[in-house]
Amino acid sequence: MNFLKNLFNQDPFFMHKKEIFFNEKILTLTKYHYKKSPIYKSLIDKFNFKFKGKNNLENFPYLPITLFKELDLISVPKNNIIKTLFSSGTSGSGRSKIYLDKFNSLNQIKTLKSIMTKFLGHERLPMLIIDRDPRSNTKDNFTAKSAAIFGFSIFGKEYTYLLDKNNKIDYHTLNEFLKKFHKKKFFVFGFTSFIYENLIMKINSKKINYKMNNALLLHGGGWKKMEEKKISNKTFKEKLFKKFRIKNVQNYYGLVEQTGSIFVECQKCNSFVTSVFSDVLIRDNNFKVLKNGLKGLIQLFSLVPTSYPGHNIITEDIGAIINKKSNCKINAKHFVVYGRSVKSEIRGCSDV
Amino acid sequence: MSSLNKVKYLVGSEDYETKPFKPYNKITCDFLAEFSKKLNLQKNINKISDLKALAFWCRKKNIENLIKKNLSNEMRIGLGLIFHITPSNIATNFIYSLFFGLLSGNSNVVKISSKETIQSKIICKCLNLTLKQKKFIKLKKRIVIIRYENNDNYTKNISYKCNLRVVWGGDETIKKIRKFELNPSSTEITFADRSSICIIDSNSIIKINNFNLSILVEKFYNDTYLVDQNACSSPHIIFWKGEKNINRIAQKKFWNKVYVIVKKKYNLERSSAVDKYTLLCKKISFLKNNCNFIKYENFIYILKLKKLINNLDELRGKWGLFYEYETNNLNKISIFLNKKFQTMTYFGLDKNACKKIVVDNLTDGIDRIVPIGQALDISLNWDGFDLNKSLTRIIEIK
Repeated sequence: MNFLKNLFNQDPFFMHKKEIFFNEKILTLTKYHYKKSPIYKSLIDKFNFKFKGKNNLENFPYLPITLFKELDLISVPKNNIIKTLFSSGTSGSGRSKIYLDKFNSLNQIKTLKSIMTKFLGHERLPMLIIDRDPRSNTKDNFTAKSAAIFGFSIFGKEYTYLLDKNNKIDYHTLNEFLKKFHKKKFFVFGFTSFIYENLIMKINSKKINYKMNNALLLHGGGWKKMEEKKISNKTFKEKLFKKFRIKNVQNYYGLVEQTGSIFVECQKCNSFVTSVFSDVLIRDNNFKVLKNGLKGLIQLFSLVPTSYPGHNIITEDIGAIINKKSNCKINAKHFVVYGRSVKSEIRGCSDV
Repeated sequence: MSSLNKVKYLVGSEDYETKPFKPYNKITCDFLAEFSKKLNLQKNINKISDLKALAFWCRKKNIENLIKKNLSNEMRIGLGLIFHITPSNIATNFIYSLFFGLLSGNSNVVKISSKETIQSKIICKCLNLTLKQKKFIKLKKRIVIIRYENNDNYTKNISYKCNLRVVWGGDETIKKIRKFELNPSSTEITFADRSSICIIDSNSIIKINNFNLSILVEKFYNDTYLVDQNACSSPHIIFWKGEKNINRIAQKKFWNKVYVIVKKKYNLERSSAVDKYTLLCKKISFLKNNCNFIKYENFIYILKLKKLINNLDELRGKWGLFYEYETNNLNKISIFLNKKFQTMTYFGLDKNACKKIVVDNLTDGIDRIVPIGQALDISLNWDGFDLNKSLTRIIEIK
């Protein structure tokens, strides 16, 4: 099952013959989870999937993302699990539970590294985290947020948190950090809504004693709050530039269910791009695959999940595959994300 | 005090009365008929099917029918004050609860869901309009509709004050409300979570012509898809009576038609599509080899049961997810019809045959046996209660 090895050594956006090797690997993963997870097997059996013959990407069976909230889906012996990731669970009742063994966990890090090196370089950079230290309230289990912070911390050093325990901006710490590092490249990371609330809204520029124009800012996570405030990705960037002169702002899209194989932003096309580790399809309400340009439910593929059957899932997010601009050099599939599909009003007679 | 725990009076005020009236008194019956007229005059009423049905239910003619059917020779009068706690998800449920209380001669305080719906807005508007008329002045203090959240104090006080508390489920709500003590002389009626089934005779489906099949399937649609199977009386499990090969033909004929109609009428929303798929996966992982799966795109999911299971009521669908089971001997299903089952809708069988399944086998569940299409028709007999009796007191005279 070590089929990611050769991918770690190549350009993650080099798509030559991707279709062939990607389909093969998805088939291998489908077979693997079919063998290892009894629940997964019982589902695939009912969906009439044929392992033999040629399969297009769209034919492979996929699980609904919300199933990870309902069932414990595991493809390795339970005592091999070293950590469990939980989704933040802002919508709906439950939280997703993602079971990771050592192998899966390591592959997440390696994949993330491979994808992010292009943006962040090979060297670890001083890292400013727009959040509070997740260790201040940690248990054995990780929320999606702390998992993201820990995940991206492999690109950083001199970790510094902007917020104190009470979620207040710690200007003293910030200035200490900038004093030491502002002259060279440094790495700023945070959830989109935290960057917005703290950097764009709350922070008083007058209290910052150093320039921040050397920052490489990376952010991801839900756009829900941004949508509510009607802030587009473009205005988000403009505001950061206006206030701090930060030019390098990179957005990413990723799910806790497929940690590692995140989708980074193509600055030219204002969209997300797939990598050799991932792919995407858009489906309509009847799960028919839609043509490029049409809005629908986002289905995500990832070659990373091995300790749980999360390699092929249909999400509740709405997106569309778009054509890249002619001068864009990234040859991968480009797509945009419009946000989460809205829950409809319940009709029935339980719940007052 | 925040706006949430404040009690908002949509109809009436805190000045309500508690004394009983006679059931089906003239002023109440006139009031319902007048309300029906007012409701019918509202804009867009024809587009809101449950309001249309409500106006039809409380029209003069139907009230006259109810009087004929329900007014007994016994000497009965209302209980006094009823406190109703009504659900959010059948938008018109609260008004039926109110009308049952009113018709049986009671004064009513009705708590409605904090979610505002177009239905509750129009209904309250029509109630207020009708109550403005001088001839209904005596009812003014007997119809109170309120909305509040997180105000245990209010619930506590009125629970102790009322003569009857009517609680429409879910089970969680009932458990919560039960913590508030009633006056020792008062009682309570609770409508807990229920599930429902449908019985179809395969031979009758084979014989039916295309036109009548369309009518039948439209009715089935109204029982199920119209409320996303969330109503307690919407069927989840379809029992097919017949020989194996006959069943197969009948099922195909029936579901193909359902598919045509659902495709035309039903809007499966994006998030529901994913949730429906999740529910399907969850149920398959529960049933494992005890089921086969058939689908018509995402519009209809059918899980064919090989064997019936205990706690059969746990097999619930949503957005058009059904379970089906075939048998030539309906008596076999009776032991699985536990207390949780409420309505049996039927087609192609004599109603006596359906009655036999329940009565001859003394099943724990099933309180209603009605033809397909009438699952959602609410009446004064509900969940096994005769509300004409439960909402009144009898005075024995010898």
